[in-house]
Amino acid sequence: MRLDQQPAYVLHARPYRETSLLLECLTRDHGRLGVVARGVRGERARLRRAQLEPFQALALDLLLRGELATLAGAEVVGMPLRLAGEHGLAGLYLNELVVRLTARQDAQPVLFDAYARTLARLAASEPVAWTLRRFERDLLEAIGYGLQLRQEADGDGLLQAQAHYRYDVEQGALRCTAGAPHAVRGADLLALADDRMPDRTGMAALRQLMREVIRYHLGGGELRAWRVLAGVQPQR
Amino acid sequence: MTSLLLSSLIEALRCLPGVGGKSAQRMAFHLLERDRERGLKLADALREAMQRIGRCARCRDFSEEPLCATCAGSTRDHHLLCVVESPVDLAAIEQATGYRGHYFVLHGRLSPLDGLGPEELGLAQLAQRLGEGEVEELIIATNPTVEGEATAHYLAQLARAGGVRPTRLAHGVPLGGELEYVDRGTLAHAFGGRMPCDHP
Ligand SMILES: [Zn+2]
Repeated sequence: MRLDQQPAYVLHARPYRETSLLLECLTRDHGRLGVVARGVRGERARLRRAQLEPFQALALDLLLRGELATLAGAEVVGMPLRLAGEHGLAGLYLNELVVRLTARQDAQPVLFDAYARTLARLAASEPVAWTLRRFERDLLEAIGYGLQLRQEADGDGLLQAQAHYRYDVEQGALRCTAGAPHAVRGADLLALADDRMPDRTGMAALRQLMREVIRYHLGGGELRAWRVLAGVQPQR
Repeated sequence: MTSLLLSSLIEALRCLPGVGGKSAQRMAFHLLERDRERGLKLADALREAMQRIGRCARCRDFSEEPLCATCAGSTRDHHLLCVVESPVDLAAIEQATGYRGHYFVLHGRLSPLDGLGPEELGLAQLAQRLGEGEVEELIIATNPTVEGEATAHYLAQLARAGGVRPTRLAHGVPLGGELEYVDRGTLAHAFGGRMPCDHP
């Protein structure tokens, strides 16, 4: 199958054979794809190689055959995004998250849009932690593991802003006491659902919650980027 | 090909970059027909190097001694420390510049998807060195790629935490280049990092 001008981002590149790269791409209509880009290493290919850096909106011409696609052409779309400082590290986290949580060739137009939106937010230097929480929420939703952020798990009551909850990945928000480990306020879950940034306490609780959920979906694994992000101080 | 030894030699030579089956065969025949002595020398050098070259305990560059010659010597400037991704980059800087300071080799760059985090790059060791008080400037010479830039940011924070001034290699339009032919990313970078003209 030939795909023309497929909107895509490169998530990761690694050397492949002599002069090629194996790219991990997020495409709009075919989800994550492994793409072989031939002859893009070495000095003469520097220009073509530079185009294939992450965080750059691309239109790719691809030949899709079996598991891997082959790159037939790449065009840069729009201005290059500059993800400076911790926003760049956050971008690497984003890419690891997408690669680890999605399957290849699983079409995800919603995820593609969420990813593009998130890069734009990072490039605009919006607060990193909140930008990542919003993306994690949208990613989980897109791959069918969406969080239950409005209903209580036991019974069919609505989440109460004043109540405290423990988020169980399989069941949802279970009521608990305020001091319980991993307790998160109903108000913070509702804020995430309504796309409003909660206060500091809420942000810390949501970060913890998301890590638990992601760890669960990774089958207990860790993201390497967590250790990278742990070592940097937020700017300002 | 009837000789087992010959085919295993050809196969072994193919591990070299840029060497395919044809070149490997040519190399093997050349050594056997015309240059056995130097072939043996090559074998010895290869074995010695593979077994004895490790990493310098201080800068992580390749070295067969616990400390490499650069680190062990006292002639270089101890106030300058230049961080590079690989020994190849170190060699390039040595050949192209008159730099007389010290180095630290990461053997990679922060890349979660390649399994490379702060531990793999020896960043705790670097932080400790920056905290010793001798280094005044940390010259960050990671590549101008997404991962190299992210690594540079991380290193700059390490430097500031240790009271060291971080600097970054300038990047932009290549010498002899014409703006028209420079890729957009490079041009945007060069434009963003423009310098005042009042330097002589
Ligand atoms: Zn050394």
